[in-house]
Amino acid sequence: MLKIVRDLFRYNREFAVGAILATLVLAMAVLSAFSPYAPNQIYVVPPDAPPSWAYPFGTSSRGQDVFWQLTFALRNTLLFGFAVAILSRILSLVIGLVAGYRGGMTDRILMSINDTFIVIPLFPLLVLFYFVMRDGMNWVLLALVIACLGWAYDARLIRSVMMSLKTREFTRTSVFSGMRMHEIVVQEHLPYVLPIVFSTTLNNINWSIGLEVTLSVLGFTDINTPTVGTMIFWANQHSAMVAGIWWWLAFPTAFITLTFIALFLLAVSMNEYIDPRSRLARMGQGAG
Amino acid sequence: MGEPKAAGNGAPAEEPVLSVRNLRAYYQMRYFGIDREVRAVDDITLHVDRDEIYGIAGESSCGKSSFIKTVAAANRPPLNVVDGSVRFSFLDRDIFKLGEEELSQVRWKHLSYIMQGSMNVLNPVRRVRSSFVDFAFRHIGKPERAFFDEVARHLERLHLAPAVLDAYPHELSGGMRQRVTIALATICRPEFIIADEPTTALDVVVQKGVLTMIREVQQELGSSILFVTHDLTVHANIADRLGIMYAGRLVEEAPTREIFANPLHPYTAHLIQSLPRIGDLSQKRALPGAPPNLADPPPGCRFHPRCPLAMPICRRETPALSTLAPRHRVACFAASPAVAPSTEVGEAARPARPAPSLEARQ
Repeated sequence: MLKIVRDLFRYNREFAVGAILATLVLAMAVLSAFSPYAPNQIYVVPPDAPPSWAYPFGTSSRGQDVFWQLTFALRNTLLFGFAVAILSRILSLVIGLVAGYRGGMTDRILMSINDTFIVIPLFPLLVLFYFVMRDGMNWVLLALVIACLGWAYDARLIRSVMMSLKTREFTRTSVFSGMRMHEIVVQEHLPYVLPIVFSTTLNNINWSIGLEVTLSVLGFTDINTPTVGTMIFWANQHSAMVAGIWWWLAFPTAFITLTFIALFLLAVSMNEYIDPRSRLARMGQGAG
Repeated sequence: MGEPKAAGNGAPAEEPVLSVRNLRAYYQMRYFGIDREVRAVDDITLHVDRDEIYGIAGESSCGKSSFIKTVAAANRPPLNVVDGSVRFSFLDRDIFKLGEEELSQVRWKHLSYIMQGSMNVLNPVRRVRSSFVDFAFRHIGKPERAFFDEVARHLERLHLAPAVLDAYPHELSGGMRQRVTIALATICRPEFIIADEPTTALDVVVQKGVLTMIREVQQELGSSILFVTHDLTVHANIADRLGIMYAGRLVEEAPTREIFANPLHPYTAHLIQSLPRIGDLSQKRALPGAPPNLADPPPGCRFHPRCPLAMPICRRETPALSTLAPRHRVACFAASPAVAPSTEVGEAARPARPAPSLEARQ
């Protein structure tokens, strides 16, 4: 495993850049543990101070240190992305594996639910959800809802892989040798499906963070939890652009963009790593 | 070769390991409200003795694979057993009467299966070791250490280094993979092995090695094998007795030497004639026509549209598989006047069948 990471780092430029950026963002998130201020405290530092040695990213109009605020924001945003990804992965794996393996009626029922989720327009639904929940809204709830909406594409992908695996000889042999359905699916098929799931997970994190930021910027989430989106929301509320407090907007935007790029590059390099053909091409390139 | 163990075809000296009686298995489908029935296995009766390799030959789509799937009770809808029984000596009842749980206890341990295209029996993303654990561990019922000792001994028997256990299937050559699958199928010392074209994808040299190996293992374990391939030369090498299938029916059955020396059914004769022989420069003639559509087989003998010896009776009546010489059965009116029409058997079985196909599907 370590060797794979090292080789990827050495020979795959996308992976190298992606890994460095991801480490940077993660390091920021980890720094939140050392923050001298609590995340929701306001007016703890002089407001509207431009970046300086004392306040590397400046301070906001609400009297918060943008650097430390951003560490909390990145932590929450990343946690949100991971939570959504894990939850939706569980859903899509279970549904995709069962639908693909069982086939027939089970498949038809699960896939009609699946297709319903694919065609539902997400954004209006989430906005509606916010207006229903109002003060009851928090990021756990939002993560749950987005996870419930984000499994459908991957469930279909996993199902299609499963349908092909189901017809292979080793599946028939497993059935013949007396293995049960859950044993066959988990022991024989899951290892085959996991790399694909791993690659789509990174995309799914990206997607869910994107949704969360969009909703937060517009104020359709719990605005008191600092996330990158809510930071931008508060900056807009205080007309940071008009007031010339550019650092309040620029740093969150820069870091969330870096996060997107990092995850995207990692997903691309994972795809290449998983696809043996492009791996071979890369090996040829390395030798030449 | 297995010398005659049972004199004649009547009562064998000991109970056969497998006896199949009047087995019929049809693909029953319903498309757009129209019931369609493909008679892939039609009225097959045969037995396989202990320590015997029984070969089944026939061209593609003659029902070979459907037959052995049914024998192992591994048939899935739409292939349904319509009639007949399959009994193994190690089972106290008909295999179709066993529950799913009992079946999975019996399979692999007593009855194992080398699948068609067995190059792909191994899971490409798991090491060979895991395949052994997945398929055989539960059946052997020994602690892990003893289990792997036994696996290693067994691999050695098949001239495989124990190191293959740590390899992924793609790291092995085709012949090695084939040997691993044979090792997997025989690790539990099953009484009965079904081999579905186990050598088809291999070149002739590897094929010969694999066949020798199957023979060796079979002799050592004393198991019986039902060996299916369309390749008659393979059968000539390995089978003790040979059954020829045509369009879902068994048309001839005899000890291998006998059938090659003295084929009685015109279809068998054609098959054997088509084999190249060293020194024989004569033009090989193809049999005109194609095997019948099993959804709508011709009346009477299913071979008659292509048969050079067809007589009027062949168009009306189905010949019964009749014993003409000791251990030699044939279903052809032209072979001997002693061959009787089997209509009464066929028609007698008919009325039992029209059970609605939905019911049979369960």
